Amino acid sequence: MRTGLILLLVLVGACGADTRPALVASDVTITQPMPGMAMSAGYLTLTNNSAETITITRVNSPQYASVELHESVVDDGVARMRRLEKIEIPAGKNTVLAPGGKHLMLMRPTDVAADAVSLQFYDGAKLLLTVTSSKPQDSR
Amino acid sequence: MSPRNIFVGIVLALALAAGLVLATRLSAPAEPKTALVMPARNALPEFELLDPLRNTVNRETFLDQWSLLFFGFTHCPDICPLTLQTLAAAQRELAAAGQQPLPRIVLVSVDPERDTPQLIGQYVAHFGDGNLGVTGSLDELKKLTSALGIYFQKQPGDGESYAVDHSAAVLLVNPNGEFHALFSGPHVAADYVHDLPIIMENY
Repeated sequence: MRTGLILLLVLVGACGADTRPALVASDVTITQPMPGMAMSAGYLTLTNNSAETITITRVNSPQYASVELHESVVDDGVARMRRLEKIEIPAGKNTVLAPGGKHLMLMRPTDVAADAVSLQFYDGAKLLLTVTSSKPQDSR
Repeated sequence: MSPRNIFVGIVLALALAAGLVLATRLSAPAEPKTALVMPARNALPEFELLDPLRNTVNRETFLDQWSLLFFGFTHCPDICPLTLQTLAAAQRELAAAGQQPLPRIVLVSVDPERDTPQLIGQYVAHFGDGNLGVTGSLDELKKLTSALGIYFQKQPGDGESYAVDHSAAVLLVNPNGEFHALFSGPHVAADYVHDLPIIMENY
């Protein structure tokens, strides 16, 4: 058993400097739709462990008919919500999707009883990452 | 220890206590930190909107209680719930501290195309009892917003999928139906918890 563990450690060490996946998501939160509404917000932190900028142009979810990349901004005292064409995560950096800023807008749930929400992040046709979040959080 | 030393000790202790009380009083928060209290208190204009039961909402609706007035729309999953959460959190914290009176939250929908009075009512009720959701025709909405310096503008979009830009400010309306103070944002619950009792006390 001990030999096996040591061998495993040696193998991991031999794999090279950085075996982390290029794109990692953390702190994933999906809000529960407000009463009478068919939309939620998605918040998360995206970490780019690679040496290249990662671009997300599209997000899909089997639990929602439509997912859009959005950004809330307040300029000159006016709150505006804008659709984003892409979200970029610079090499070695985080991009945070958080309340009052960049976020996912999830529309028209296809499975209201779903306990988990799966999100697929794409750059064009290329699937970059699939994340599963726990049950939507009540926003109150 | 001689009786004289004990006497001097007591006098010093009392002086110290008095000094501490005075210092606390002087540094007690007496000015709002975030809110702008309006120098001239203008009455709300004439307007006629609807509550969730389709009763008329006008200037009289605002008499005899304090209201935190916010403009938004329900098809907004980010900023609007965030602001309402902040106001509701402040309301809960003030209630827990025994604050009287407590202002209610009034959300005016600037998206009457999608927000029925019933929908806006459900939405606001989610953030606590006693709060009010209001909407109505664009013309009546504009009577209210233009008098209060509130901007809103529907943005281009496909069919049902569009956003409405709107002023992010929260307005405090006093029990005389007057625009009393302005919170321009960003909205933080602690700022409301600090400022509201001071403003209402000085009314």
